[in-house]
Formats: sequence, C-alpha cells, structure tokens
Amino acid sequence: METIWLYQFRLIVIGDSTVGKSCLIRRFTEGRFAQVSDPTVGVDFFSRLVEIEPGKRIKLQIWDTAGQERFRSITRAYYRNSVGGLLLFDITNRRSFQNVHNWLEEARSHVQPHSIVFLLVGHKCDLEAQRQVTQHEAEKLAAAYGMRYVETSARDAINVEKAFVDLTREIFELVRNGDIQIQDGWEGVKSGFVPNTVHSSEEVTKGSRQCFC
Amino acid sequence: MSIPSSSPERESSAGVQLECPSSPPGMDADPPSTGSPVLTPDSSSHDAVLSAPAASPADSENLSPDELELLAKLEEQNRLLEADSKSMRSMSGSRRNSGSSLVSSSSASSNLSHFEEDTWILWGRIVNEWEEWRRKKDKLLKELIRKGIPHHFRAIVWQLLGNATDMPVKNQYSELLKMSSPCEKLIRRDIARTYPEHEFFKGQDSLGQEVLFNVMKAYSLVDREVGYCQGSAFIVGLLLMQMPEEEAFCVFVRLMQEYRLRELFKPSMAELGLCIYQFEYLLQEQLPELNVHFRSQSFHTSMYASSWFLTLFLTFLPLPVATRIFDIFMYEGLEIIFRVGLAILQYNQTDLIQLDMEGMSQHFQKVIPHQFDSCPDKLILRAYQVKYNPKRMKKLEKEYTTIKNKEMEEQIEIKRLRTENRLLKQRIETLEKGQVTRAQEAEENYVIKRELAVVRQQCNTASESLEKAQETIRELQQQRYTEQFVNNLQTQLEQSRLREAELLGALKEMQDKVLDLEKRSSSLPDENNMAALQEEVKQMKLRELETLRSFREMQDAVTDLNQRWQHHMSRGSSTGGGGHWKESPKKNAMNELQDKLMTVRLREAQAQAELREVKLKALQLESQNQIHSKLIGRHEQERSALQDRLQMLANQNKALQAQLNEMKRKQAESDCKSKEEVMAVRLREADSMAVMAELRQRIAELEIQKEEGLIKGQLNHSDSRQYISQLRDQIAELKNEVRHLISRMSVQGVICKICKAVL
Repeated sequence: METIWLYQFRLIVIGDSTVGKSCLIRRFTEGRFAQVSDPTVGVDFFSRLVEIEPGKRIKLQIWDTAGQERFRSITRAYYRNSVGGLLLFDITNRRSFQNVHNWLEEARSHVQPHSIVFLLVGHKCDLEAQRQVTQHEAEKLAAAYGMRYVETSARDAINVEKAFVDLTREIFELVRNGDIQIQDGWEGVKSGFVPNTVHSSEEVTKGSRQCFC
Repeated sequence: MSIPSSSPERESSAGVQLECPSSPPGMDADPPSTGSPVLTPDSSSHDAVLSAPAASPADSENLSPDELELLAKLEEQNRLLEADSKSMRSMSGSRRNSGSSLVSSSSASSNLSHFEEDTWILWGRIVNEWEEWRRKKDKLLKELIRKGIPHHFRAIVWQLLGNATDMPVKNQYSELLKMSSPCEKLIRRDIARTYPEHEFFKGQDSLGQEVLFNVMKAYSLVDREVGYCQGSAFIVGLLLMQMPEEEAFCVFVRLMQEYRLRELFKPSMAELGLCIYQFEYLLQEQLPELNVHFRSQSFHTSMYASSWFLTLFLTFLPLPVATRIFDIFMYEGLEIIFRVGLAILQYNQTDLIQLDMEGMSQHFQKVIPHQFDSCPDKLILRAYQVKYNPKRMKKLEKEYTTIKNKEMEEQIEIKRLRTENRLLKQRIETLEKGQVTRAQEAEENYVIKRELAVVRQQCNTASESLEKAQETIRELQQQRYTEQFVNNLQTQLEQSRLREAELLGALKEMQDKVLDLEKRSSSLPDENNMAALQEEVKQMKLRELETLRSFREMQDAVTDLNQRWQHHMSRGSSTGGGGHWKESPKKNAMNELQDKLMTVRLREAQAQAELREVKLKALQLESQNQIHSKLIGRHEQERSALQDRLQMLANQNKALQAQLNEMKRKQAESDCKSKEEVMAVRLREADSMAVMAELRQRIAELEIQKEEGLIKGQLNHSDSRQYISQLRDQIAELKNEVRHLISRMSVQGVICKICKAVL
C-alpha cells in the first residue's frame, strides 16, 4: 500500500472515563461501532490517513487514553509529543463537561513549552433525550478556551470524520504558517517523505533507521 | 511520575541526567548476555527443576516414587515442547505451529491422556494434603501449577494458593453489600464493559455483571485508598468465573494485599512505574537490540506493558492462555508477568525489529494475542527460560525509588523555580513599569493632593456657607423675627385699612366736593344760556319795573284825575248854582252825563289800571313760576346726575374694597408660605448639618486612609495605584456631594433672599 502524506500529526484523545473516546477513535479508524468494549487500560494506539484537500494527505497517529484519573500518571507522558488533541465529554453526563477544564489544565501543564491544538468534542449527540449539556454553553466554553466545538456520535457516525478532519486542517494551517514547527526529538509533527518509499504498518522498510525527520 | 516520562528525558539529552539502567557498569555479574535466548536449559540459573532430571536431594526425599515419576513425565513433556519450538524458530505464531506441535506430541499423547486422569486424582490429593504439599513438595507443586490447574480445581486451588480460605473479611461481605460506595457509579459503568463477549457477563442484567458489581463495590469499601481502578474488574471477573462471589471477594482481597496488586492500583500507580522500570531493565539486559529499536521508534514500554501488569494479561491474551498465567501468578506472584512479557517480546523480536512504531502497535494489538492460542505451554516454557534475578529486582526497586524521589524533588524544584520565575518576571515588569509609572504616580499623587486641597477648600467654603445658612435659618427661626414679621404684616394690614379708611374719607370728601361742585355748578348751569337768560330776565324785570312805574304813574295820574274830578264834582255841587253856570239846565244834564261818563271812564281807567296791574302781577308770578319750575327741573336733573355719580363712586368703593380684601388674602397666603419656607429651611438646614458632619467624618477617614495608603504605597507600588484610584473615586464622590450641598445651599440662600425680599 503506497501512502504519500505531507505530514504526520500525533493526536491525543482525552476526557473522562466512559465518554466514548475509544468508540470515537474506532469509528474513525476502523469504521465500526462496538456497543461494548473493554475499558482502556493505559493507552491504545491507532492511525489513519486523512485527505484534507485533494492531493493533501495527512497521517494521523491517535493515542487513546484511559479516562480514570489515576491513569493520568501514565497518560501524561503522551501529551508532550502530541500536536493536537480531542477533548471529549459526554453530552449526557454533566460531570464530564465540568471536568473539561481539569483535562485542559492537565494537558497544558504537561506539554510545556510546546502547546497542543485542541478541539472540544461533545460526544454521544445521538442521545438527545438524555442531553445534560446544551450546545450553546459548550460553544461558549470552547470559544473561551480558543478552540472549536463539534458534536459527534460514534454510534450514528455523526461528525466523526469532521471532528478529526477539522482539527487536522487547523493544525495543518498552523504548520504551514510556521506557528507550529517541526523539531528534532518532538513527535508531534513529522514531515512526509518522497514517494516510492513504501511505508505501512505491515510492510518492511529497513532496520532501525526510519525516514522520519 | 511514571517511567515513560523518564524515558524520553533520557532520549532528549540535555538538562536532567538520570541514572539509566541501560548503563550499569560492572554491576551485572550475570552469565553471558542472552541476545538470543537459545533454548539451553542449562543456562537458566533459576529453574533447576527443568534442567536436572533429578531434583535436589532434599526434594527427592519428600517425593514419593509416584511423584518422582510424575516429575519425570513433566520433564519429558517439557523437552518435547522445546524440541517443537526449536523447529519453528523463524515462523511467527500460526496454526501450523500448533499442528506440528500436536504431531510431535502425539507420540506422548497416550501418555498425556492417561496423565490427565492421573492429574485429576493427583490434584484431588494435593487439595486434601495442601499443607504438606505446600511446605514440603513445593517444587513439584510449582511444576504442576505451571502445567496448569485443572479447570474444576481452580476455584479451590486458587483459594488455597492465596490463603483465602478462612478470612475474617468474608463475614463482612454481606454487610459491605448493603453499604454504598462513592465509586459505585464508576463501577457500574465499567461493569458492562468487562468481558463483554463472555457468556457469564453478557447482557446488562446478567448474573455475572451483578456479582462483579458486588465484589468491586465491596472491595472499594474495604480498601478506600484504592477504591476502584479500571482494569481490576477483569481480575475479579476471572475469579467469578470460577467461584462464587464471597470466595472471589476474599481471593481478590488477598491478591490486592499480598501480591503487590494493591500498589499497582493505587491512585498514584507508583508500583506500575516500578514494574515498567524493572521490565525495561530486563528488556535492555536480555533483548538489547529490540530495546534499541524501541527507543529509536519512541515505542515506550508503557504503551504495551501497562495492561499486562494491571490486568495480568487478561485483556491482552485470550482467556485460556491468560488463565494459565494466572495459575502461576497465584503461586509465584508478579514475577511471571515479567517472564511472560519478556518471552512474548523475545518470541516476536525479529518481527518487531522490522516495524515502526505504528506497525508495532498494530502487531501488539492484532498478532501477538493469538500467537499462543493453541499451545500456551510454549509460552510458559519460554517464560521460564527468561532470566530473572529477584535480588536484581530488589536493587532496581531501590534505584527506582531514589530516581522517583529525585524526580519528584526536581519537579517540585522546577515548579518552585517556575513560580519564582513567573513572580520575578512579574516583578521585573512591574518594576520596569514602575520606573515609568512612579513619576506618573508622583504626579498623580500631587494632582490628587491638590485636588484634595481644593476639595477641602470647597468643603470649607461649603461649610462656611452652610454656617451662614444656618445662621440665617436661625434668624428665621427666631420667634421674634417671625413675630416682627407678623407684626409687620399686621401693621401693614392696619395701614392698608387706614388707607382704606382714608380713601373712604377721601371718597366722601370727594363726594361732598362733588356735591358742592355740583351745587356750584348747578347755580351756573348752562352758563352760556344762563347769562343770556339772566340778562333777559334782568331786562324783563327792568321792563317790568319800568312798566310798573309807568303804570303806577298812570295810576297816580288817574287817581289824580279821579281826585280832581271828585274835587270838581264836589265843587259843582257846592256851588250849585253858581253862577257861571248859567248855562242852561240842559247843558247841566249833559254836563252831568259827561261828568258821570268821566267818572265812569275814570273808574274804568282805574279798574283797567288795576286789572293791568293784576295782570302784570300775574305775569310776574307766571314768569316766576316758570323760572321756579325750570329751577326745579334743573335741580332734579342735577339730583339724578349726582345720584348716578354717587352710585358710580359707591361701585368704585366696592371695587377698592374688594381689592383690599384680595390684598389681605394675599398677604395671609404669603404669611403661610413664609412659614412653610421657614420650616423647609429648618429641615434643609438639619439635613445639610448632618451631611456636613458626614462629610467631615469622611474627610477625616479619607485623611487617615490616605495616610495609611501613603504608608502602604511606600511598601507596594501597585497597591498604591489601586488605592489612588480608590481615593480618586472617593474624592469624586465627595466632590459630587459637596456640589449637591453647595447647590442646596444656594437654593436655600435664594429662598432666604426671597423671604427677606418679601419682608
């Protein structure tokens, strides 16, 4: 499988336990929805390619984190090397919305001196009847934090692509403007490479030397 | 802090230099590096049982011949397994391997089936003679456990292994179920996600979920520090698959307390970091190439190994394999996790080295879990070929704690430095700004001082004017003044009445004068005509007089004549005869007739003269009568005119009286108004007094505050600014109030002036 991508962005998905992080990612990367799945113990890893504009492909490496607070000691390590993040809360769970602030603080304090571009995501928007957070107040919060807001549903596949693609576009713009720069030793953004070099999860390339830089 | 954070720090060089297990010079005195763990049973130092066909003399004494035989069989099996695994070196774990292993072990299959029955019986014995086996035949027990506990024995053997058969906490269980735990909600949500595919736990109302919830809740109440940790539910779930809830609860409590699990699940998760650290050491020691590859790909250990330790492979490997590992875990503890983990890595080394981070993640997620489905024994065998030095682990633990402490301290130091930095930056900013603003502030201070002085002055003037107002008010208030005022009003009233009286008097005089004048003028009515008429009348009277005279002369003449006649007559008669008269008696008769006629004519003339006299008199009387009647008419006219004038004057008088009444009314009104004004002025004066007092107080307070502020300002620039602005606000307020007051004062002054003017 030949893939040519301009950049590789590493994203992290954070939020309270059971808001639906793993589901959202699985829907995005594997196209399926599992009603029940194991709680994430530690971190899980997924990846997918998105085409933000015709001919412009970006590879997304997505880290799925455990939501329970005590796992933060593990998940902290992943903030630093991420360039973007989806901050999830469950619209039917008011507590998860109130904890958005904590998650943001957590991420920001552990990412210094870099910064992460976040997207606020209100998940499980298909459960309109049990909604406890209005779109309006979430938009206000997002605006206050300087980020966009999207409501998604992994079950009904609403805005799942949009969430990831929007965030990718935002990061792409910042990279293009030079506001975010590729740095040695920072995994958040890696630039793509010349075509003809095969690179995929199953294929073999070389020994330890990889073409990222 | 967990290990992953330290790993990238190691990579990123600069700054912090940590002790790296990757370079422990001269500390590792172990036998040759196991770059490729070849299956040389001889090389493993730990597992003497595998290598030596006969156990150490001490053991063999305890073992019955049956058991020795059993041991031999086990070893046979192991060798077979080893042989199998040798032949499938290069291939990744696939079904083919399992097939070949089956083929190769088919020769021993008959032995095995027979063996299985034996194992059942054996295990029955073990369970019955647990204490003995545990103490004396532990090596064999270990071997047997490694082979796997028969499914139906798991419940009891696990309890025995965990020493959970007779726990006091068991009795608490039912009590605990009745209580409610703060973690309940969290547990609820995770229960549905635990072993979702498993029959026992499928469905929301399944029995499995219910008992799982109970045990998790009960544990969260027993151990408040740990509470509930995601992942622990899998272990409990496994227990619940084998035994009822109370027993599972007891075993779980044991696991948490005795097997280091509690430390793993604590909110700090410090133990996990340690395990990862130790695992990394093993990795670096035994699979250095792979380690290097992981590092280069930034493939952190925690990415794959966290769930291994937290869920004891229950989320990573399929249940049959994981359960086998759990059997061993129950007997040997976390060590097996390290071994299995490393065995897995070693088994997949060649594959992994060729993959990048993504690929490796995928490999871990998709490929590895099913590699040992068919033959878990192989995995376990490999696990036991991994070198594991408990002493080394202990040393690592100490290393790790010191590293962690250092990190913690450093973090604290960094935080402290950061906050200090921030504060210093702020200070610099403020100082820099301060230099610029100090002058501004001094200026502002000065301006404020001046404003304050001005305000004070205004306040003073206001107070002065207020005092003046007060005085005037006092004057107004003084009763005498008001009395005077009233008296003045009264005198005014009296004066006005006098005037009125005078007016009336004057009116009357005027009326009298008017009458007089009328009278006078009545005597000179129609002056023009009057003169003519009077002249006429004079003339007429003159004529009358003349005529009268003439008449009287006539009368006299007549009388004279009459007398003379008479005289004649008498002479005639007396002389009779006289003589001369000798004429004839005829002539005498004629003479007599003539004399008679003469006398008659004389009488007639007399009568006529009398008649004319009477007629004249009548004429005179008539003319007088006419005159008098004219006079009367004129008098009447005059009278009517005078009456009209009188009426007019009376009306004027009335009008004047009305005006006078009005004047009186107005005066009374102004009386009242002035009294009201007096009252209002009094009130206002009282208000202004109060306000003045307040103002004075405030000024005093402000002065004090300003003093304080000045002192404070000397200490803290930024505060003074705020303070100054506060002062300013206050001053503005004061100014406004003073202005109000001044306006009030002015209004009052105006009113006072008005009152004065009225008076």
